[in-house]
Amino acid sequence: MSDRTIAVISAGLSQPSSTRMLADRLAEATVAELGARGLSATVKTFELRDVAHELINNLLTGFPSGDLRGLLTAVTGADGLIAVTPVFTTSYSGLFKTFVDILDKDSLEGMPVLLGATGGTPRHSLALEYSMRPLFTYLHADVARTSVFAATDDWSGPADAPADRGSRAASTDRNALHSRILRAGRELAEMAAAQPHAAPADPYADAPSFTDLLGHP
Amino acid sequence: MQFGIFSVGDVTTDPTTGRTPTEVERIRAMVTIAQKAEEVGLDVFATGEHHNPPFVPSSPTTLLGYLAAKTDRILLSTATTLITTNDPVKIAEDYAMLQVLADGRTDLMMGRGNTGPVYPWFGKDIREGINLAVENYALLRRLWDETDVSWQGKFRTPLEGFTSTPRPLDGVAPFVWHGSIRSPEIAEQAAYYGDGFFHNNIFWPMEHTVQMVQYYRRRFEHYGHGQADQAIVGLGGQVFIRPSSQAAVKEFRPYFDNAPVYGHGPSLEEFTAQTPLTVGSPQEVIDRYAGMRDKVGDYQRQLFLMDHAGLPLKTVLEQLDLLGGEVVPVLRKELAAGRPAHVPDAPTHASLVAARRAAGIGAPDQLDSAGDRWTGRRAEDDLTAGDAAAASAR
Repeated sequence: MSDRTIAVISAGLSQPSSTRMLADRLAEATVAELGARGLSATVKTFELRDVAHELINNLLTGFPSGDLRGLLTAVTGADGLIAVTPVFTTSYSGLFKTFVDILDKDSLEGMPVLLGATGGTPRHSLALEYSMRPLFTYLHADVARTSVFAATDDWSGPADAPADRGSRAASTDRNALHSRILRAGRELAEMAAAQPHAAPADPYADAPSFTDLLGHP
Repeated sequence: MQFGIFSVGDVTTDPTTGRTPTEVERIRAMVTIAQKAEEVGLDVFATGEHHNPPFVPSSPTTLLGYLAAKTDRILLSTATTLITTNDPVKIAEDYAMLQVLADGRTDLMMGRGNTGPVYPWFGKDIREGINLAVENYALLRRLWDETDVSWQGKFRTPLEGFTSTPRPLDGVAPFVWHGSIRSPEIAEQAAYYGDGFFHNNIFWPMEHTVQMVQYYRRRFEHYGHGQADQAIVGLGGQVFIRPSSQAAVKEFRPYFDNAPVYGHGPSLEEFTAQTPLTVGSPQEVIDRYAGMRDKVGDYQRQLFLMDHAGLPLKTVLEQLDLLGGEVVPVLRKELAAGRPAHVPDAPTHASLVAARRAAGIGAPDQLDSAGDRWTGRRAEDDLTAGDAAAASAR
């Protein structure tokens, strides 16, 4: 049994998907940084595409079915969560939001979360800050300072920095995708290393005493 | 073991014909269905309570009172009585009256109701749902069990020396079930009072039902009402039966696909695998429901939802013939086999009266009929005054 469990959610749709690629890179960086702190880690990665039908069914029937149940248990019971979505029409994808919508509103409370997003151009990068971050703040998750956006161009690597920037290449490198992934992974690892996240309480383990409910002393 | 049916009382368009029954047709269909349930040998008919279209049963005791006169044997119940938005004083009165008229053939199931807008229509707040259920039921119990009740709570005006009338038949209040799908507090409430707990599992995976029922059983024992396996458990169920499995699936699929609750979501096959819905031959229904006790333990009441999703009355009556004729008799036999002797049946009026007598408590005293303590007047005073008025008018 490893010291920490990191759940990874990718809302990418294509195969292979750059969203999944970013999710995997963030997970690698997190595991490496946990390792540097002497902690072993298990990574559980889920593609929302695989449970797309179950997500809609959950909205309609009110309960998770099939593989979705295991996914929810893994996510809410993890010590850290990496959540990565493509940006669709200015925001997280509908599939990603559907997943968040079926989470119990208290289930991510205090959960260390690292956010990532992908898009065609860097113009969408702030979607992470104006849509993703508030969403997880609402859920009282502990969101890492750094969130990572990867545009199509970013995947060509630092060597591909725009030639006309000339002497500014050094600062471009510093902001390149790779270094952002490393920084984000370090931040999530620091939070997850601090303490294991407590799994959601079993509602049947600590139901209130009925005399308390009745308001009797 | 009791077998019966429960109706939501929805007015739903038949997706195969596009026809929608009128409210009048639907209410009369409910009456016909209840009578049919008795005719085919079922033990319980329970009606829902709703206060918004497309549902018709807003006044359960009116319906059940009428059915009490139209039936001889079947137990009349609710699924559920809204303990949150109804005034507990009115519930105490209405169901005590029904109990007398039905000669004890009645019990009821408390529920919170899950339709948000209904709460403000009755001056309540859904966020207080659990607290309303707890306070209102605590008062209801006192109104049935005590006279001259002085009471003060958070949600209703205080009572001073109030006696609910009529008093429960033979001094025994109707047996109460508490229905809840996901709130441990309600299972706790049922356990605290030693009442029944009903899990309407028809839209839920069995694992979830098992968790709730086991919790209730554990707490029932904790509160000293008996062993966990003696707690009073009821389950929902949902079936569509035809002599052959293929015919059942073919006929039910359009109703499933368009059903208000789960329609346009999971497939019929997925939903039957995940929930107690069983669509098939009598034998398939028997096999599925005979297996329920392996999951929740020997239980006391099994109710089926049969008249919903726009199924025409004729079909529902055919379903009841199959349920009462071919399914339930076999289930009765199979569930009786191997049932431990110490597992009780669901309490009935007769068994509750017998238990009361056995405990040495006699028939209750008649209420003092000498006068109305609030006006100081007696019925005879009114007669005298009436005579005087008549004389002076002459």
